[in-house]
Amino acid sequence: MVSLFGRFRGGYMKILVCISQVPDTSTKIVLKDDNTAINNQGTTYIVNPYDEWYALVCALELKESGTASDIHLITVGKADVEPVIRKALALGGDEAIRIDADSNDPFQTATYIAEYAKSVSYDLILCGKESIDYNNGAVGAMLAGLLDIDYIGFATDIQINGSSVIVKREIEGGEETDACSLPVVIACQKGVAEARIPNMRGIMAARTRPLKAVTPVAVDPVTEILAYELPPAKAGIKLIEADNMDELVALLHTEAKVL
Amino acid sequence: MSVIVLVEHTEGSIKKKSLEAVQYATSIAQKTGTTVSAIVLGTLPNDEMENLGQYGAHKVLNVPDARLNELHPRAYTTALLTAAQQEASKIIIMLHDINGRAVAPRVAGKLKAGLVAGALSYPDLDKGFVIKKAVFSGKAFAHVNITSDVKVITLIPNTFQLNKGEGKASIEKLDVNFSDNDFGITVKEVNKIKGEIPLADAQLVVSGGRGLKGPENWGILEDLAKELGAATACSRPVADAHWRPHHEHVGQTGGTVRPDLYIAVGISGAIQHLAGVNGSKNIVVINKDPEAPFFKAANYGVVGDALEVLPKLTEAVKKFRQNHK
Amino acid sequence: MSEIESIKAIKGGEFLIRETQADSVFIPEEWNEEQLMIAETCTNFLAQNVVPNLTRIDEQEEGLMPHLMEEAGALGLLSISIPEQYGGFGKDFKTSMLVTEKLGAGNSFSVAFSAHTGIGTLPILYYGNDAQKEKYIPKLASGEWKGAYCLTEPGAGSDANSGKARAKLSADGKYYLLTGQKMWITNAGFADVFTVFAKIDDDENLSAFIVEKDFEGLSLNTEEHKMGIKGSSTRQVFFNDCKVPVENLLSERQNGFKIAVNILNLGRIKLGGATIGASKEVITSAIRYANEREQFGRPISKYGAIRYKLAQQAIRTYASEAAIYRASQNMEEATEMYEASGLDPIKAKLKGTEQFAIEAAIIKVHASETLDYVVDEGVQIYGGMGYSAEAPMDRAYRDSRINRIFEGTNEINRMLTVDMMLKRALKGELDLMGPAQKVAGELMSVPDFGGADEEGLFIKEKKYIAGFKKAILMVAGAAVQKLMTQLGKEQEVLMYLADMLIELYVSESLQLRVEKLVGLKGEEAVKEKLDMMHVYINDAAVKIANAGREAINSFADGDERRMMLMGLKRFTKTEDINTTQARRNIAAKLIEANKYCY
Repeated sequence: MVSLFGRFRGGYMKILVCISQVPDTSTKIVLKDDNTAINNQGTTYIVNPYDEWYALVCALELKESGTASDIHLITVGKADVEPVIRKALALGGDEAIRIDADSNDPFQTATYIAEYAKSVSYDLILCGKESIDYNNGAVGAMLAGLLDIDYIGFATDIQINGSSVIVKREIEGGEETDACSLPVVIACQKGVAEARIPNMRGIMAARTRPLKAVTPVAVDPVTEILAYELPPAKAGIKLIEADNMDELVALLHTEAKVL
Repeated sequence: MSVIVLVEHTEGSIKKKSLEAVQYATSIAQKTGTTVSAIVLGTLPNDEMENLGQYGAHKVLNVPDARLNELHPRAYTTALLTAAQQEASKIIIMLHDINGRAVAPRVAGKLKAGLVAGALSYPDLDKGFVIKKAVFSGKAFAHVNITSDVKVITLIPNTFQLNKGEGKASIEKLDVNFSDNDFGITVKEVNKIKGEIPLADAQLVVSGGRGLKGPENWGILEDLAKELGAATACSRPVADAHWRPHHEHVGQTGGTVRPDLYIAVGISGAIQHLAGVNGSKNIVVINKDPEAPFFKAANYGVVGDALEVLPKLTEAVKKFRQNHK
Repeated sequence: MSEIESIKAIKGGEFLIRETQADSVFIPEEWNEEQLMIAETCTNFLAQNVVPNLTRIDEQEEGLMPHLMEEAGALGLLSISIPEQYGGFGKDFKTSMLVTEKLGAGNSFSVAFSAHTGIGTLPILYYGNDAQKEKYIPKLASGEWKGAYCLTEPGAGSDANSGKARAKLSADGKYYLLTGQKMWITNAGFADVFTVFAKIDDDENLSAFIVEKDFEGLSLNTEEHKMGIKGSSTRQVFFNDCKVPVENLLSERQNGFKIAVNILNLGRIKLGGATIGASKEVITSAIRYANEREQFGRPISKYGAIRYKLAQQAIRTYASEAAIYRASQNMEEATEMYEASGLDPIKAKLKGTEQFAIEAAIIKVHASETLDYVVDEGVQIYGGMGYSAEAPMDRAYRDSRINRIFEGTNEINRMLTVDMMLKRALKGELDLMGPAQKVAGELMSVPDFGGADEEGLFIKEKKYIAGFKKAILMVAGAAVQKLMTQLGKEQEVLMYLADMLIELYVSESLQLRVEKLVGLKGEEAVKEKLDMMHVYINDAAVKIANAGREAINSFADGDERRMMLMGLKRFTKTEDINTTQARRNIAAKLIEANKYCY
């Protein structure tokens, strides 16, 4: 499988950016059908912020600096996710691939993307550190495993240096600088790039950029969601006078037992 | 047929959150009539490893290769796959932290195993293998059933109570055939911020918002954090304005925290911010606007100007610490 | 409908005498994906670049506003409908209205944006020759240069043609020497290009000139201290033998007044767009606050008094929006028609806009008064906090007020509405006489009680709207007959007639919007919008009846008065409905969504 990669010569780098569609951050979650499903009525969808603000914009910067030549966007979903893909295309990217399937878990998603990625020699695969809907943060690392390539998560800075990449990433209580050869999957977070607003030129170009639907390989999910629940409402607040911080400390000690 | 659990360690000692993972594994092993094998990758004193018996580990499988003292997701995966095969394990447990999140999905993918990333409960075996986890950044919870034969779980730290018992784990060396590719990542530089408590694992967090008015006022917030031994955090507008470093940003598009105590100072409590903190066991909100929505999510509230309340609270904590030495 | 009839269907002012088909109007629920993306870019731009800086903007921090304009320019937002050959995006009028609406929530930034893209750029784009356009438009489109417009003078506001600014040709014939004083000039502090109106020698009419800030003899006064829009640069501009090259005369000599009027037609409907953008934002703040603020143990949004206000804010905004985009579409279609008939695109655009000048004036008044209502009740919903300078209502309230004053005061626009209508009738462009006589005849005959058992979602509303038209034709017809040439001096009557026309146009636009929407999405999906229509038309009937009565009482007496009052009652009669329940339904959805959601 390794032979599929490594065609990278400076300036011809191909980047795959994984994007997913998620409900807008201001969405209130409402359940339906005996709590077995989320009520999506009236939900506005956006590109997962980590995918858009960091992974995609990082790819665009690499292209603008002449390091990368092609940026492909990939997502898994039925035709109704296309408006969100075009939102991403409005920021940039040369073409988009939609794996025409509803995915039920990270394993399905990663398998679909891995199968497609094998057919194209990507030098760099970028994704967000997690999607803000199911918060698994699993697809990137799983994809790297399925492709037998390296994975670096929680990246805060990415520099391409010839055929290798220098990545700063978050570690517990600090930061680490890693180096590894391409190809690699990197999961991005804040720091990698600055969020952009799509401009008129990009919005108008989004319609004309190729967006192709790809038939998925057959793969079954390995998890299922049986039910959802909403967090219980906090039981009443205790208000403490601003001049009585001793009382607050005492409550934190005797009642909350955290001091 | 043992339950495998990956144990993290740093500077010669096991991380507390890994003890939680061992204990979690023990609970499942007891229910399923198996034992727990703790995997220790890298070098660690024997007594540290033996002590995992106090949390129910039957044995420790150790790969004493010093390279593994640093995270190498591919090497970790190779080691875990070797251990899983040797032990005929069907259940593999890690932490939902930076390391676990780099390794667990890779292991799960290789084994075609279902993954619950960020478990908040023990598995409900009556309904299958059902585990509760947060979704939509804490705005809801999902009950996820793993349908595959092999199961991989990552645990949210600071969720499961520790109960130390008696016991000593036996130590076995695990032989793993690593390839060069397993160490494809070279660590060039490590910068640990000295004295700072990592936010994601912090038990106490003091977090500031726009109500602090400017970066120049963060000193009084840091004073309180220091007095408490708490990590510091901030809201998105504060990080966006570069008042604070971005790694301090908690919320739906920042980090998620689940401390025992979260003190929010001058943060109004937008739905996006609440998403990142509503796993906190106790929330104190200090805000001068009595209508701030955060008060609805709080256990304790103080209506007042952050700049005036903070020094008073720090003083009160100082007094408390002196009396409770 | 045949081709000829459909062309006839798009004539300005005809709404008074013709029935419009719902499928012919454009409704904002029809925005396409690209337009919605553009709207999102505007919203994100405000959220990231403008809203966090509102205080600094209001303090007029040096360089901040021009910088924001340049950032908007980099996104392409200053050149939405500028032709591609001048560096723009050549989008249609409705899309540029949408951008104006979305950025309308940006307080002082919105004013700077509107002034630059409207009166700052359009005179040159529409009336400039090729050389002028090539020199100025690309730089204005990108935001590298900022534009301003100098019409008003200390002694010449609403009466613009009475200005004292004069231009005379220099001895060598190379320059016009411009002398005069202009005031309330938006963007003056940082503008690079000014369109300046002045009379050449003793001309009867104004001419227009393109003046660059560095031309010798131009100077600026200090910033005005204003009630609101404090971040908008407003200064006096002095011209002291200012040397303007002769090639910078815009259009022809004495063509300035026409330029001013035509640019204002566009400015008025755009102001409508900007104000409803602001209204929606203020409503969202009000809803959020009402949901957060608790009194007597419950959020105040649970109380009827507050719900009434929220519903009313939304109804008026939604109705105003219906009128704005209906007219925008009409302007676009009229432009296309003129273009098809052989006019060059820019002339076609001007004629298309002028064709709907009546509607533009109506919209300017209705939308700006809607925003004033929305901010006033916004302050009220915030209660004590509404009066605090730390809550957003303070700025919104002060910033709203100017909208009833600039782009022609609402009084001037009301008079224009009636005046233009009557002038078109006089010229034979609009047949008001025939329908008015028919209504007069109907007054004498037995009332028509037919149609009562007709079924259909909009039967009643259509009948009410037909009645409103009759009421206006009756009052206007009688006023013309009674007052003849004196009508122009009876300004109170003109105001009443204008109010009737405004309520008619907005009611009908709302009814058409909801009718089209039901066709697209089904009745169940738009219940609250049907409620809005019912409430709005119910209230409009009362307003039309009141204005009509005041007008009739001012010029008629005896039997004639009695007969007209009876007719008015009949034409404005609506069935009683439970508006309280309807408003509760409308508010419930707002409260649930926690934002303006219609």
